[in-house]
Amino acid sequence: MTARLRDVAIVGFAQLPVVARDEHRMAAEMLYPVVREALAQCGVERDDIDYQVAGSTDYMDGRPFGFVMALDVMGSWPPRQDLHLEMDAAFGAHYAWLRMQTGEIDTALVVGHGKTSEGEPARVLNLQLDPYYQAPLGLDPVSTAALQASAFMARTGTTDGDLAEIAARSREAGARNPDAQVRTPASAEELRRTPWAVEPLREGYLPPVGETATCLVLAAAGRAERLCDRPVWIHGVDQRVELQTLGARDLTRSASARLAAERAFQMAGLAAASDVDVVELAAATPVEELILREALGLPRRGGPVVNPSGGPLCANPLMSTGAIRLGECFRQLAGRAGARAVPGARRAIAHATQGHCLQQNLVWVLGTERRWA
Amino acid sequence: MKRAVAVVGVGQTHHASRRAEVSIAGLVREAIDRALLDAGLEHRDIDAVVLGKAPDMLEGVMQPEQFLAGAVGAHLKPLIRVHTAGSVGASTALAAVTHVASGLYERVLTVAFEKQSEGNAMWALSPTLPFTPPLVAGAGGFFAPYIRAYIARTGAPPHIGPMIAVNARANAARNEYAHLREPMTIEDVLNSPMLWDPIRYLETCPSSDGACAMVIASEEAARRGPRRPAWVKGGASYAEAMWVPGRDQVNPKAGRLCAKAVYDQAGIRDPWKEIDTAEIYVPFSWFEAMWLENLGFCDLGEGWKIVDRGEQRFGAHLPINPSGGVLCTNPIGASGMLRLAEAALQVMGRAGAHQVDGARTALGHAYGGGAQYFAMWVVGSER
Repeated sequence: MTARLRDVAIVGFAQLPVVARDEHRMAAEMLYPVVREALAQCGVERDDIDYQVAGSTDYMDGRPFGFVMALDVMGSWPPRQDLHLEMDAAFGAHYAWLRMQTGEIDTALVVGHGKTSEGEPARVLNLQLDPYYQAPLGLDPVSTAALQASAFMARTGTTDGDLAEIAARSREAGARNPDAQVRTPASAEELRRTPWAVEPLREGYLPPVGETATCLVLAAAGRAERLCDRPVWIHGVDQRVELQTLGARDLTRSASARLAAERAFQMAGLAAASDVDVVELAAATPVEELILREALGLPRRGGPVVNPSGGPLCANPLMSTGAIRLGECFRQLAGRAGARAVPGARRAIAHATQGHCLQQNLVWVLGTERRWA
Repeated sequence: MKRAVAVVGVGQTHHASRRAEVSIAGLVREAIDRALLDAGLEHRDIDAVVLGKAPDMLEGVMQPEQFLAGAVGAHLKPLIRVHTAGSVGASTALAAVTHVASGLYERVLTVAFEKQSEGNAMWALSPTLPFTPPLVAGAGGFFAPYIRAYIARTGAPPHIGPMIAVNARANAARNEYAHLREPMTIEDVLNSPMLWDPIRYLETCPSSDGACAMVIASEEAARRGPRRPAWVKGGASYAEAMWVPGRDQVNPKAGRLCAKAVYDQAGIRDPWKEIDTAEIYVPFSWFEAMWLENLGFCDLGEGWKIVDRGEQRFGAHLPINPSGGVLCTNPIGASGMLRLAEAALQVMGRAGAHQVDGARTALGHAYGGGAQYFAMWVVGSER
C-alpha cells in the first residue's frame, strides 16, 4: 500500500424484510422505498450524494439490462456518476470505498436488488458454472455445497449433530430479526430430523429462497459525522477470488477468504478476528460457517457473536446477502439492532461471497471509532 | 485525479462473426496475453482484475467472470465484474483506473469481451419491459426512432448515414484487427436492405466475437515500463433515468455532463481544437453525427455538416474512429473498451496503419442502455 487511507463510514442502511415472493412489486418498485428510507436516515436528498453503485444480475431478472430499471428509483435525474456491478451489492460498497480513496467523491449510494421469485434459482445458478465441463452435470448450489460439506466432514470429523447445532443457533437468532425470512426457532434435534436435501446437507441446514432490496449509504470523514450520529467506520477491507473448477481447489478450505481476511485485518490493525464483538458471515450452510471460521481464525464455537441477524440460514436474498451482513454490522455498532443488539459491540467483521462453494470472498473490519488506535 | 494513471499495455483479438476455434476463455486470454506482452509484464505483476461484458444472455453463462477467474489470472486476487450495457467496455476500463487512482493497486488488468456466436444477440438484446409491449426488434429497432428525431430536428439530408458507414469501412481497411474490412460505396449502402428505417443493413454494426484488454498502471509503474504510456487525463461514467418527462434521447444530458466532467479534468476548453482524434461509439451510422454534437465538438444541428464536409475522415481535421469503430467490429461487451484502447494507441503513436499523424490528445467514448449510460476518457501523450 502506498497511500494513507481515507476514513470512510457506513452512515445508512435500509432493507425490506426478506420474503419468498414480493408478489405485487417489480424489483425496481421494491428498491424505491429502501432508497428513500436510507436517504431519510441520513437526512439528505439524492442531490446530496455524489455517486451510485448498483448490484444485480441479469440472469436472475430473466432479461438483459435489469439494472437499467433501478436508475429511475435511485433518483438518476439529473444524470449521476454511476456504476453497475453484476455482483452482490457488498462488492459495490467495496468499489464505492475504493472510489472514495481517489478523493473524487465523498458520498455514495449502494443498492442491491434481485427478484428470485421470477425465475428458478437452482437452474439459473447452475449456469454460473463453466459451460463446458461443470454446468452440463446439472449441479446447482445445493449439490456443490453438499460436495463441499462431505469433503469437509471427512477432513475434520464434523458430524451431522455439529451442523444441526449451528443451524439451531442461527434459527434462534433469526427469530429476533424482523427482517429475516425464517423467524421460527428450531432445535438441533428438530433440524436433525429434517430430510436430506442432498446428503450430508439436510433441508434444515439450508437457506430459504427469498428476495429483498437493500441500500447502503457510505460517506468519507467530514461528511459522515453530519449524516449519521453514530457512523460505523471502515477500518479494513479486501476481496479475493479463486479458481472455480471444483476439482481444482480444496473445497474444505477457503484460501481466498483467508487471504482477504489477512489483508483486511492488516489494514485495520486487527491482531485477531476474536478481538471483535460481532461477526456476520455470508455462510449458506453450517459447513461454510466452519470453513470461514477457520479461514478468519475464529474458534469452531464460541468467540465473538456470529450472525446475530440469523445469517443466510434465515434470509439469503440473491445480490443482497453480503450487503445485509454489512448492514447488520452497521446496525449492531450504531445501536440500531433492537432486540438482537450485542451489548457493547464496538468492532465487527462483515463477510460477503460470490459463486459456488465460497469462490470469491470479501472481508470488512468495522468499528465505532474513526481510528482504532 | 488524486494519482496519475496510465495505460501501459494494450491487446485485442482478431474479430470475426465466429471465433469457433477458441473457447470463451481462450478468446479472453488472447487479448490478455497481447496486453501483458505489450506491457512487458506477467500475470504475477498484476494486482487486481476488472472484467466487463454486456448481458450474460449473449453467451448463456451467468456471471462468467467466475469461471474465467483462472483464465484471466485472477486466482487469489481481487476481481470485479462490471456491466453497464453497451458502455460497459469503457466503464470497465474506468473502474480499473479507479483501482489504481485509489493508491491501493499498482498494476490492474482490465478485460472485456463478447462471444456473440455462442448465442443470439437479437433475442438477448430484446428486453421485455414491464407495462411495455415487447419490441423484439433488437437494438436497431430501439434506436431508429432516436435517429429519425435527429433528422427531423436538424433537417440532415439522407446521404449522411451512408457517408458515415462508407467512411468507417475505409478506416477499417487500415486496421488489421477489424471484423469488416471490405471497402464499400454509397451505392452499396443505399442498395442494402432497410432494416429499421432509416437504418439500412450496411449502416448497422456486425455481431462479433472478440476481446480487448489493457494494463492500467500508476505513474511509478508506468515509468518503469518498456514503452511510452498513454496518460489518463480525465475519465467519468454517468447514467440517467429512463422515464423522465422531457428527457432528450437525441442529445442526452448524461452524455453532455460526462463529456464536460472529462474535459474539465483534462483541461480541455475547446474539444474541436484540442482533441486530435476520437473513437466514439457508433453502432448505427447516424450516431456519429449525433455524438459529435453531444460531445461538444460543434453546435447543435451542426454534427451532420462535419460529416458532409468530410472533416471527420482519416487525414482530415478530426479523424473519428480511425479504427473503423463499432460499425466494423462489435463484440458488444468489448466494443467500449476498444474505443478507449484505440484512443490510447493513437496517443502512444502505435496505431499502425490507422495512426493519426501527430495525435497527442484523444477521446475514447461509449454509450449504452436507451442512450442512458455514458463512459469516456481523454488520454494524452504527456503526463
